Amino acid sequence: MNPTASQSSIVSITNVTKDYTLGKVVVPALRGVDLEVHAGEFISIAGPSGSGKTTLLNLIGCVDTATGGVVRVAGQDTKQLTERQLTNLRLNTIGFIFQSFNLVQVLSVFQNVEFPLLLQRKLDKAQRRERVMQLLEQVGLASHAKHRPNELSGGQRQRVAVARALVTRPQLVLADEPTANLDSVTGQNIIDLMKELNQKEGTTFIFSTHDAKVMSHANAVVRLADGNFLDRISAAEASRAMAAGGH
Amino acid sequence: MLQLFLIAFRNLGTHRRRTLLLGGAIASVTALLVILMGLSTGMKESMLRSATTLSTGHVNVAGFYKVTAGQAAPVVTGYPAILEQIRKDVPELDFAVQRGRGWLKVVSETSSIQVGVGGIDIQSEPGLRQVLQIRAGALDGLAESGTVLLFEKQAKKLNVQVGESVTLAAQTLRGASNTVDARVVAIAADMGMLSDFGIFVPSDTLRSLYQFKSDTAGALLLYLKDIQHVPVVQARLRQTLTDAGHTVMDHDPRAFFMKFETVNREAWTGQRLDITNWEDEISFITWTLTALNSLTGVLIFVLMVIIGVGIMNTLWIAIRERTREIGTLRAIGMQRTRVLLMFVFEALLLGMLGTLAGASMGLVLCLAVNAMAVHVPEVVAVFIMSDTLNLAVHPSSILGAMAFITACTTAISLIPSFLAARLKPVTAMHHIG
Repeated sequence: MNPTASQSSIVSITNVTKDYTLGKVVVPALRGVDLEVHAGEFISIAGPSGSGKTTLLNLIGCVDTATGGVVRVAGQDTKQLTERQLTNLRLNTIGFIFQSFNLVQVLSVFQNVEFPLLLQRKLDKAQRRERVMQLLEQVGLASHAKHRPNELSGGQRQRVAVARALVTRPQLVLADEPTANLDSVTGQNIIDLMKELNQKEGTTFIFSTHDAKVMSHANAVVRLADGNFLDRISAAEASRAMAAGGH
Repeated sequence: MLQLFLIAFRNLGTHRRRTLLLGGAIASVTALLVILMGLSTGMKESMLRSATTLSTGHVNVAGFYKVTAGQAAPVVTGYPAILEQIRKDVPELDFAVQRGRGWLKVVSETSSIQVGVGGIDIQSEPGLRQVLQIRAGALDGLAESGTVLLFEKQAKKLNVQVGESVTLAAQTLRGASNTVDARVVAIAADMGMLSDFGIFVPSDTLRSLYQFKSDTAGALLLYLKDIQHVPVVQARLRQTLTDAGHTVMDHDPRAFFMKFETVNREAWTGQRLDITNWEDEISFITWTLTALNSLTGVLIFVLMVIIGVGIMNTLWIAIRERTREIGTLRAIGMQRTRVLLMFVFEALLLGMLGTLAGASMGLVLCLAVNAMAVHVPEVVAVFIMSDTLNLAVHPSSILGAMAFITACTTAISLIPSFLAARLKPVTAMHHIG
């Protein structure tokens, strides 16, 4: 799905700053970033280490709070929400895919994917089972439903994480370097999977990456440097810039 | 919620060595608690059984009679009328017996001892037959006047056998010395402290020694169908006997022989009734129970502190190891309360499994000790009123011990669990270690 399909804004960031305090030193991680992400987009956030990619994803994901500016997710100003409301927003609106997969080791593949549905308490057992199995089919792991994460390869684990992120049918999925711990082929497969789900389900994806190949699948690339918003360019432009030695 | 239990359960299984160590400690403390409670309850039951047979009923209507202000005797005059009223006023009554009470000297050819004496009608004392273990002679011999039952230690000290005679010497109510001869008809097994200082003679022998009338008793021992009714019956009798014109003494929770000094100091003369219960009459030895219970309390407290530190430490380690997991779960939408519950469940499960194992161990040990009828040293027998160790195990006390220790372990886990729940998702997710 491309951005023109729906122009409603799922993420709106205005002049956002984020400072970290290390002892007596204040380190600015973001210095007045503006960003608008529309529903159905498949956006990559690019930049070198320390540019603020993860910080920006954390703010959009409501797991951290901005020092200044306004972060709006699904129309809600995150600063105005209580801890409980933020948790509910994460549960119902946002899916997370982590670089290190972050699966619950003591639960099976099925139980890991089912977990957010149990937290939501909206579906009965049969409905949950149907939803989970459908997603496991989509990510090609239906036959591994009873396995534990430590019995899977890195790529399989990340596919479980993708299924878990999508199981609540969130409007927005955030992925922080989802392919960083995978070999290039497996990484490519994960991005293909994310792209497929984006196109089929219309889910908005925002992912950070260093990898030009991964970036090339994005509708748009948002480039950051030293906590500043550099520009928002197409994937092709980003590839050319990387080839030329730029970020 | 089930998923949280599943996570907790599987986490315990994943860290098997840690779980076994801590679970083992919890099991040991539970087993110890079950055994100590068994010992305490066993002692209490032995005391109750022995005391309510040898020296007291569940409720006693006793009294003091004073000819002059300074000379009290443990006497209830005109007891048949009082007994009749009691039977009318106490529907909870199972049966009642009258006992004579006194303090006398037993003299044999070679030795003498000072003891308390109970004057009994052996045909109306069903409890004595169940509790006394006759080593020589026969209990029914007490149906005959001029006979006496001694306990083993007393017989040994007096150097007398069944069939031999002793002399009983005492002062009458009016201060005259009197003696009667009594033939030893039975020697019973010792029953701890209560049997060290008491003998039994027929009621008429006691009356003859003290020159009492036939309607005089030392005390009326009332045995209730349910011991739980003691306070109610005691209170009711105070009222009804007062209403019937008797003077009833204020409640003094001590054994009757400890009250002489107080009663003798008071200026009144004549008859006053004293209504007590079995606990009052053996209060002078229940300190052993109190001491054992206190020791149990201190021991369990110290062990619980050690276990508490262990649980805290284990949960700290678990939380440290699983900080990223907590961050992830918080990120995907788990509320703080559920994070808290997840760790509390872990402690709860550990507590439940540990206490179940411990209670089973304690129970088996108690049953084994009871089955082996372990003999205790004489000095211990004096206090526990039994020559064998009796560990009384009741389902309610075992469940109570399990619930108490599980509740403690769960409560202790609240602190680290609460701090885990307070972790910010972003901090937890990026935790290294």
